Amino acid sequence: MTDMQRIYVHPLPVRIWHWANALGFIALILTGVQIRYVDLIGLMSFRAAVSLHNWVGWVLVGNFFIWLGFYLFTDKIRVYHPELSPVKHFRDSFRQLQYYGYGIFKGDPNPHHLSAYHKFNALQSMAYQIIMLLLVPLQFVTGVLLWDLKRFSGAVEFFGGVRVVDTVHVLLFIFFTAFILVHPYLASLGHTPSAHFKAMITGYEEVDE
Amino acid sequence: MTTQARFLVVDDDPVVARSFDRVLSGKGYAVITARDGPEALEKLAREDYDAVFTDIRMPGMDGLEVAARIKATRPWLPVVIVTGYGSPASEARAKEIGVAGFLHKPLSPEMIEGSAREAMTWKAADRSAPVAAAKPAEPVAAAPGAGGIVKNLALFVAAPFIGLAYAIAFPFVGLALLAWYGYRALVNKAGGR
Repeated sequence: MTDMQRIYVHPLPVRIWHWANALGFIALILTGVQIRYVDLIGLMSFRAAVSLHNWVGWVLVGNFFIWLGFYLFTDKIRVYHPELSPVKHFRDSFRQLQYYGYGIFKGDPNPHHLSAYHKFNALQSMAYQIIMLLLVPLQFVTGVLLWDLKRFSGAVEFFGGVRVVDTVHVLLFIFFTAFILVHPYLASLGHTPSAHFKAMITGYEEVDE
Repeated sequence: MTTQARFLVVDDDPVVARSFDRVLSGKGYAVITARDGPEALEKLAREDYDAVFTDIRMPGMDGLEVAARIKATRPWLPVVIVTGYGSPASEARAKEIGVAGFLHKPLSPEMIEGSAREAMTWKAADRSAPVAAAKPAEPVAAAPGAGGIVKNLALFVAAPFIGLAYAIAFPFVGLALLAWYGYRALVNKAGGR
């Protein structure tokens, strides 16, 4: 069966946030690499890299609050609700893992049934809850502290000093760099390689029966 | 004394089968489940049922094929298609096959009970008239009350911590499952000797 049905899954504020975030993260990664490896890479001057990194960082902090506001003030907040039954969560997670690792290569149907309020499968749901509500805010907090160490010296001391804050920021930077590489691959696993990319532009996901 | 009506529910998702069982068992019906099309056809060959509810999306044989095979041998048996996203093309094909109706996910107890009742009516009376398509339960789009808002926010705030707990437990649960499957395979192998 190849009958496709269109479902409106990605509202406009989420799409705007998503693409702005994608561009911003790429800029932050490039400038971050330039700052970290100033002696090895010559994309731009150190001063320009720091300045751009700070500006883009602040834009992404604002962008995050657009995302947060949208979910807090609409019923789409349910998209980020956790599965409270561990049995169901792990059963669905391992089914999804089996699909990604094996079933997808045999042409099995995706075990996840997409809907406007369940756009994430069990694995995505777990990952995005951690990323969006824990890791991204943590990266912003550590970034802001490093942006003005003098002003936030008290907070920096509270978290264990510059070395701790910087290490957390760099570890998260490595994680997000890996995420930026893996994310397009996973996004290409729709019914066509470009289906999820188009959906993040139009808002409509195509699902088969 | 009347014979208990028997329904065969075909779905690879046990949660759906359990929903049918929970709703219909309490109403005096018997619910028998099958995980896929071949299992359903095998059960139908051995026992009589009063109606079949089948999901469309299943690995291997899809629900429309299951319905077509059932109608080829038992045209009197009502088959209700359970689907997440009913498309006009698949509904047209289902009607050609002669299904009794459609049940659109997400399912509510009222939808399941209503559809079971209509399938029984369909079987008892006019076999050519389709059961009215049960409409999907509307998502709770209305503004939630104060309690609902607090619950929504609490779940949203708790989400990363629950997600983190699941992520930490994930490899251990995976290893435990592997050990369990390995143990079962060994036991089966030993039993087969």
